[in-house]
Amino acid sequence: MLWYKSWLETRWQFLIGLVVLMLSAAGTVIAYPKVMKLMPMVPTIDVSGELGRRIREAAELARSYRGYVWSQSFGQNLTQMATLFAALLGSGSPLSQGSRGAALFTLSLPVSRNRLLTVRAAASLTELLALAVAPSLLLTLLSPAIGQSYSIKDALAHSVCLFMAGTVFFSLAFLLSTVFSDVWRPWLLACAVAVVLALCALVIPELSRYSIFRVMSGEDYFRGRGLPWLELLASAAVSVAMLYVAAKNVARQDF
Amino acid sequence: MSDRFVIETADLRKNYDGVEAVRGLSLQVSGGSIYGFLGRNGAGKTTTIKVLLGMARPTSGHARVFGLPADAEDASVEIRGRTGFVSEEKELYDYMTGEEMIRFTAPFFPRWRGDLEQRYVHTFELPLDRKVKALSRGMRTKLALLLALCRGAELLILDEPTSGLDPAMTEEVLQALVSHVASEEMTVFFSSHQIAEVDQIADHVAIIDRGRAVVTGALDDLRENFRRIQLVFDGDAPEPAFRAPGVVRVRRKGRVLTVLSSAGAERILDEARALNPVSVDVVPVTLKEIFLETVTAED
Amino acid sequence: MMFRPNPSSGVPIYLQLMEQVKHGIETGALRPGEQLPGIRPLAEELVINPNTVAKAYRELEHEGIIELRHGAGAFVSATARAKKLTDKLRAGQAIVAAAMEKLRARGVTDEEIRRLFEAELAGLAKPGGHRE
Repeated sequence: MLWYKSWLETRWQFLIGLVVLMLSAAGTVIAYPKVMKLMPMVPTIDVSGELGRRIREAAELARSYRGYVWSQSFGQNLTQMATLFAALLGSGSPLSQGSRGAALFTLSLPVSRNRLLTVRAAASLTELLALAVAPSLLLTLLSPAIGQSYSIKDALAHSVCLFMAGTVFFSLAFLLSTVFSDVWRPWLLACAVAVVLALCALVIPELSRYSIFRVMSGEDYFRGRGLPWLELLASAAVSVAMLYVAAKNVARQDF
Repeated sequence: MSDRFVIETADLRKNYDGVEAVRGLSLQVSGGSIYGFLGRNGAGKTTTIKVLLGMARPTSGHARVFGLPADAEDASVEIRGRTGFVSEEKELYDYMTGEEMIRFTAPFFPRWRGDLEQRYVHTFELPLDRKVKALSRGMRTKLALLLALCRGAELLILDEPTSGLDPAMTEEVLQALVSHVASEEMTVFFSSHQIAEVDQIADHVAIIDRGRAVVTGALDDLRENFRRIQLVFDGDAPEPAFRAPGVVRVRRKGRVLTVLSSAGAERILDEARALNPVSVDVVPVTLKEIFLETVTAED
Repeated sequence: MMFRPNPSSGVPIYLQLMEQVKHGIETGALRPGEQLPGIRPLAEELVINPNTVAKAYRELEHEGIIELRHGAGAFVSATARAKKLTDKLRAGQAIVAAAMEKLRARGVTDEEIRRLFEAELAGLAKPGGHRE
């Protein structure tokens, strides 16, 4: 019944996230024909410097459907939104619950605190996995509608990257929710951290190699270098470490 | 510390952020009793309960339930499997309906009593399809009580069970408790600052003041042992130093000296008569008076 | 049992219950051999601790006023001892009535009378006094 309770407590976040990400994926596919019509105009845009370089790069990528999908979805939209919703799913620990009273009811049950957290984390991570897989599969399913195809192998590979790197923000929010008793601060702080990391990678090009978002977008895989196993495992390790600290926090907490 | 007591604390202390909520509490609750835990707001009742249920760790001292240490994680899980709890605010999961709360709670307790569940749903007239957030406080109390009573528990721990309830519903709750205790083998430990209800259903009582137990014992013994001795003098009442034990409080007002004694009133009387009072009165004392005289004003 | 014990009176509830039973026997409301309410239903009806009812019944049995038959319940004792107690109570009632008349004639108020009796019962108003 703990699983059911976790579901009841996270279903709106999950469902909204699912709809948003799937709409985003669908939108990317549907926009492709229109984007293709605009392509010939690109060389006439004269923007120099960093911005110009990026526009030209995006245009270059969009020459192939696969490149287009990567640059719009995994490289951008899905990664950003997955970060947001990963953090959302991670915040709101089963023992904070707004008012203390309901937490007391939970704590009066013959269940160890570890188990409470474990079930909650597992349930939410399952939801995160669904959030990572569904939009990717949708890309594969929807592409034929515009006369294109997106391989299921690519879709799943990117799902794996989205999920495993995304767990870092999930775990961060989860850890923060054992420190703050309200629902919003963990999420806002985790998002703030994400923004800071993104800005660092943007402003300091040397750091962009180590950016979590690069891992999340699966850039290495896209560029044909195979899945970034080392980085994915590192992400998983960082997540596990944060969840462990969260469990330790809760274990010695007084209510 | 023995296994004979269902609940036992020894010099229990608990600090929260530098505030001493419990300052050396020692009490023993025997199986089968209805134990009232009386105290003012902020005296440490809720903190003590939280320690017993493993929600808070003692700063020092010991707490045992069923002979098991309350601060050990595994033991605490076992304790909670045999205990029913209702918190002061009776908060449950807002977003669940009554039915969902029951279906959520029941699987945790292998000894769940479906027969009691049916009975209490009927007696309490609980609207099971309504969400908890739409229930009145009285209804929420009854639902919380049902969830505690149907667990097949040996011990019930209730934090101010009738707070916020009107007199009719208070009586209903007390009646449900009494009825339950009469037919099941169990112990009830409830905190309250309603003296009347402790008077009514408790057979043992502990009065807690500023984190310490100032009075403990069987209620009937307290009623039989506590006495108020009133001495009237010709002139101003003297300031005596009673050597006999059992003097709880002495008040002087003009020509009247009032002594509250917890035991051994005879010896105190002997000393008192040596002061040559004009008249001597000995009367029994109510629990309310005992309470008011033994607790101090809030800090 | 159509009475409500007063939990706040300072008199233990089990004593009040015992008095009620004795009073009932004395006035004839409870006849010898008649069954008393069971411990559980009585506790539920009065909303008091079942242990309190049990204690009252035990004490009454000890005094020979009722019999606890295993598995059957509590019954008013049919023996002469119960009757003797009833006679005793009747005689006692007469003495108390006479004493109160005298005290009232002296201008002692009811509240003062109660206090005198309480003090006497506590057995401590006289030097060397003891209980029961």
